Amino acid sequence: MNEGISLPVSGNNKSWTAPTGRRTDEWSEALVLIGKSQDRAAFTRFFRHFAPLIKAFALSGSNLSANHADELVQEVMLKVWQKAGGFNPEKAAASTWVYTIARNCRTDMFRRLQKFDTPLAAEDFNFELEEEEPFAVLHTRRGSDRIRELMGELPPDQAQILAKVYMEGKSHSEAANELDLPLGTVKSRVRLAIQKLQVHMEKA
Amino acid sequence: MVNHHPTADFLTDYATGAMPPAQAACISGHVNYCEQCRRSIEQLQDIGGALLERLPPAAVSESVLDNVLARLDEPAPLSFDTSKRGLTDTAIPGLLQRLINGDFSELVWRKITGSLSVSYLKTGDEHHEFALYRIAAGGQIPEHDHEGSEMTLVLQGGFSDESGHYGPGDFVYRKPSETHAPTAIQSEECICLAVMDAPLRFTRWQHRWLNPFLQLRAG
Repeated sequence: MNEGISLPVSGNNKSWTAPTGRRTDEWSEALVLIGKSQDRAAFTRFFRHFAPLIKAFALSGSNLSANHADELVQEVMLKVWQKAGGFNPEKAAASTWVYTIARNCRTDMFRRLQKFDTPLAAEDFNFELEEEEPFAVLHTRRGSDRIRELMGELPPDQAQILAKVYMEGKSHSEAANELDLPLGTVKSRVRLAIQKLQVHMEKA
Repeated sequence: MVNHHPTADFLTDYATGAMPPAQAACISGHVNYCEQCRRSIEQLQDIGGALLERLPPAAVSESVLDNVLARLDEPAPLSFDTSKRGLTDTAIPGLLQRLINGDFSELVWRKITGSLSVSYLKTGDEHHEFALYRIAAGGQIPEHDHEGSEMTLVLQGGFSDESGHYGPGDFVYRKPSETHAPTAIQSEECICLAVMDAPLRFTRWQHRWLNPFLQLRAG
């Protein structure tokens, strides 16, 4: 563990010293600053870190051209600026919050490109969590930390399927076609991965 | 108390954005009633966040940052307020409220049988019909099956069929060709949201003559 040792921060982001602990905490703090005081310096830092990840997300599965990927980066980062006030670091990790915005923007972009006519935007399907008990919040945080820890221990075939469905936005049957696997195999690998990451599910 | 939940497969499709809009609206409706599934979806979204952190970054040119910085002062677009969603048994989930644009009574209801009527809503989903079904208190939907699949979410009242009892917030999924004959509870009329990818088919001879009129109204 690197705790307590101050490491040089790589990339463009030289003015910022990361606090010890999880990287996401640094970005949660930046989001809070953006939301509270429209801090453009914090936003620029946030952009330099997340824009290349959002672009990689847009390009994975190669469904979007480089131009559309840049357009998606712009849309997502504008939403980050506009919605940062609603970000609650107690409830979600910054990267999860960014992921949901990127996912919604990409869904809307696909639908626009396919001239799919719907009165609903992807973010209309979002839900807000009610005010929660501190215990429940702690529980959720532990769950999300655990998922990040366990991610590295997934067998490659399960990690590959998760990347397909999450980063490329493929349905189970699209993933099955591309990997030339039976649909049942894809479904069970996704389910196994989710179990390993200890996501709690109600019995259907 | 919600007792019937969507499967892990459905929640994953919802969390990854792979679900068609009509079905996603149905899951989103269930989630309004169900704290446990909300938590599951949050954790499933955490997987997305964790995977995003691990992607190899793709170079973004400075001009993209300049463009965004130049646009920060634009007014934010108006968006539907998702924060006022109650968790009471009678509240209509927020997204549905918007599609209904009023109260159940303001919708156009078409009668199918004496105790069953239907109202079609628009989601823009070309492959799924998105409709509300209203069953009179104690009324029965004649036995039917489906050529396709059906997601059902109970919004008001409740019904029972061969496999159990379902109340507000409960989610039921029927695969193609599963037969059932739901009966509404005696005390109250039952309103359900049903999302189908093929029309239902009545299976008993008394009602089969209705089948030609039951075409899928997707869109």
